[in-house]
Amino acid sequence: MDFTLFDYFTDPVLRAPTIGSMLMGLAAGLIGVVVYLRKESLLGETLSHAAFPGAIAGIFVASFLGFTEDITTLFMLLGAGITAFASIYLVNWLQVKVRVPSDAALCFVLAATFGVGITAASQMQFTHAAEYRRMLSLLYGQTATMTDFHIALYGILATSIIVILALLHKEVKIVAFDRNYAFSLGIPVKAIESIFFFLVVLAVIIGIRTVGVVLMSAMLIAPAVSARQFTNRLSTVFLLAGLFGICAGFIGNYLSLTLTHSFSSATTRVSIPTGPTIVLTAATLCLFALICAPERGLASRAWRIMLFRYRCLCENILKCIWRLSPEDGTLTQELVKYFNTSPSLVRLALHSLKRQGWIQNISHQVWRLTPDGKIKAEKIVRLHRLWEVYLADYLGVGAEKVHRNAEEMEHIITPELEEALTKLLKDPKTDPHHQPIPSKNPVL
Amino acid sequence: MHPDEKKALRTSQLSVNYGKTPVLWDVTLSIPEGKLVGIVGPNGAGKSTFIKTVLGLIKPIAGKVDFFGKPLPEIRQKIAYVPQRETVDWDFPITAHDLVLMGRYGKIGILRRPRKADHAAADDYLDLVGMAAYRDRQISQLSGGQQQRIYFARALMQEPEVYFLDEPFAGIDISSETVLMDILRRLRTSGKTIFVVHHDLTTVESYFDWIILLNMRLIGYGEVSHVFNPEMLNAAYGKSYALFDEVLKLSRQKTTGME
Repeated sequence: MDFTLFDYFTDPVLRAPTIGSMLMGLAAGLIGVVVYLRKESLLGETLSHAAFPGAIAGIFVASFLGFTEDITTLFMLLGAGITAFASIYLVNWLQVKVRVPSDAALCFVLAATFGVGITAASQMQFTHAAEYRRMLSLLYGQTATMTDFHIALYGILATSIIVILALLHKEVKIVAFDRNYAFSLGIPVKAIESIFFFLVVLAVIIGIRTVGVVLMSAMLIAPAVSARQFTNRLSTVFLLAGLFGICAGFIGNYLSLTLTHSFSSATTRVSIPTGPTIVLTAATLCLFALICAPERGLASRAWRIMLFRYRCLCENILKCIWRLSPEDGTLTQELVKYFNTSPSLVRLALHSLKRQGWIQNISHQVWRLTPDGKIKAEKIVRLHRLWEVYLADYLGVGAEKVHRNAEEMEHIITPELEEALTKLLKDPKTDPHHQPIPSKNPVL
Repeated sequence: MHPDEKKALRTSQLSVNYGKTPVLWDVTLSIPEGKLVGIVGPNGAGKSTFIKTVLGLIKPIAGKVDFFGKPLPEIRQKIAYVPQRETVDWDFPITAHDLVLMGRYGKIGILRRPRKADHAAADDYLDLVGMAAYRDRQISQLSGGQQQRIYFARALMQEPEVYFLDEPFAGIDISSETVLMDILRRLRTSGKTIFVVHHDLTTVESYFDWIILLNMRLIGYGEVSHVFNPEMLNAAYGKSYALFDEVLKLSRQKTTGME
C-alpha cells in the first residue's frame, strides 16, 4: 500500500481521519491560544476528562433507543458537551462557595468526573460489548473509523470557532490581558468568558474522538506555546497556532499510517495509534520551537549570550593592550595571562580584532592598537570609570567595590546612557581611584 | 445646575467585605470636580479596594456610589481606570500601540474593529507620554516607567472626565514620574478629576489638591492643607506613623529650607 499525499485527502478510507484530525488541530490550536494566554492550561485537561462521562451517557442513550451510527455520534458529542460545560460551573461553584483554590477545584472535578466515566463504562463491559469498545476508544482516540459525517460535523464546529474568535478578537484579547480594565470599560466580561468556555468545550468534543480525553489538553497548549515562540503579535500567534495544529493533525496521521505499514511484516503486526502520534507530533513541534525559535528559543538565547561574552572578551583585550603598552606592543603570551579563558579563544579574539581594524601586528605575536583601536579602548575605559563614579557618588557604593560592577556594565551601557551619565555627573575627569577618565571625543 | 452635578464622586456609607472580614467600613465622602486627589493610607488600608469598588469591580455589601449625580452604568465611558502595573502579564503578545488602542475598545463596541482614527489617536497619546518611539515594542521590552506611561496613555484614549490611578508611581523612574505628574496637572487644569492611590507621603503636599485618608474606615478627606497634618496621619498610621513624621520633617527641610 503506497499512498501519495493527494490520496490522504481523496481516498474514501483515508480522507475522513486525515481531514478530521486537521480540523481538530485547527480548532484546538486556535482556542488553545486563549487558554494559554489566560494561563488556564489545566482547564483543558479538566474539560476533556469531564466530557468522558457525558460521551458515555450519550452512547448509552443512543444505543438504548437504537439509533444509527451518525445519530449516536451526535448524541455522544452532545453528552460530552453537556458534562464538560457543567464541569465549569462545578469548578466555579467549588471556588466561590466552598472556597477551594482554583487548581484544587480543577483537579478534583477532573478526577471525579473521569472516575464516574470509567466506572460507568466498565459496567457495560459485559452487557453492551460493542458500546464498551466504542467508549474505550474515546480514551486515546480512534481516527480509523471516522466517516465523512465526522468531517462535516467537525468542519461546522471548527468554522464556528474561527468565526466567533474573529468576531470577538478584540474582546477576547482585552479580557485575557487585563480583565479588570475590560470590566471598567463596560465590556461584558462574563459573557465573553462564557463564550470562551463554550469554544473550549467545542474544541474538546472535536478532540476526544481523534486524540482522546487523556491527551486532548496537549493539543490545546502545544500549538499555542510553539506559536508564541515565533512572534510578539497576537493575530500571528493565532494564525501560527492554527497552522501548527493543522500540521500536527496531518503529520500525525501520515506517520501513524506509514510507520504502521513499514514496521509490520507478514508475521508481526505493529500498530502505531494515530491520536498519540498526533500529540507527539505537536509536542515535537513545540520542543523544536522552544529550542530553535529565533528570539525566544533556548538555542538563540545561548547563542546571544555567547556572542555577548565574546564581545566582552574582545573589548577587555583592547583595554588590556591599552593599559599595558599602547605604543610598544604587547605579546600574545602576556595577554593570555590576564584572561582565564582558553588561550586559543584569546588568539581567535585577537585575530578578529585585527580583521576589524582595531589592532595590528608589529611583529609575530606582538600586538599594538591602531589609532582607531586606541579611541575605542579609551571609550571602554571611559564607560567603566564613569560608571564607577556614578556608583560611588550617587549610590554610595564604596570605592573598593565599584570596580567589579563596572567591569560588567562597561559592555552594556548604550550611547544614550553614556550621554545621561555624563550630564548627571557633570563630565567628571577622574574616577574614584583617582584615575583619569578619557574624554568623550578623540583628542585632536 | 443641580448641586449634585458639581460633585465628581460621591459615596455614601460604602462598606466592603472580603468573605467575612471587613476591608472598608462606612465610607461617605464627596469630591468636587476638577481636583487632583491623593488616596493615602497604610498598607492594607483598602485604598485599591476603594477605587475598585467605586469602579464597580468589587461589589460592596452596602452603600451607594455616583459620579456627577449619576450611577456608574450611565457614565462608565467617562471614567478611566489605570490598574496596578503588576496585575497583568507583560509577556502578553501585544505591542505598546495595541495596548494603548485598548482604551477605545469600550467606545468602539462589540463586534466592530478599531477605525483608522482610533489607531491615529493611539499614536498621538503614545507621543504625548513620550513613548512614540516605542510604538511597536512588545510590552515586556519596556521599563517599569515606560509601561506605566503606556498604561496611562490607554486611559487618556478614553478621553474621560474622571481618572482612577492605582499606585502609578510605584517602582518607576523619576523622569516617568515627572512626565506623568505633568500630564495629571494639565488634566486637572482642564477640569478633569483625578484620583491617585499614593504611597509616598513626602510628595503628597506637592502633588495633590485634596486627599482621602483611609485606614479601613475614612479617617478624613478634604484639601491637603486641612487633612494632611500630624493628628490625622497619626490616626491613619497609628504607631508606625512616628517614622513617617520623621520623613516628613526631613522632606520639608529639603524643600523649604530649615524650618
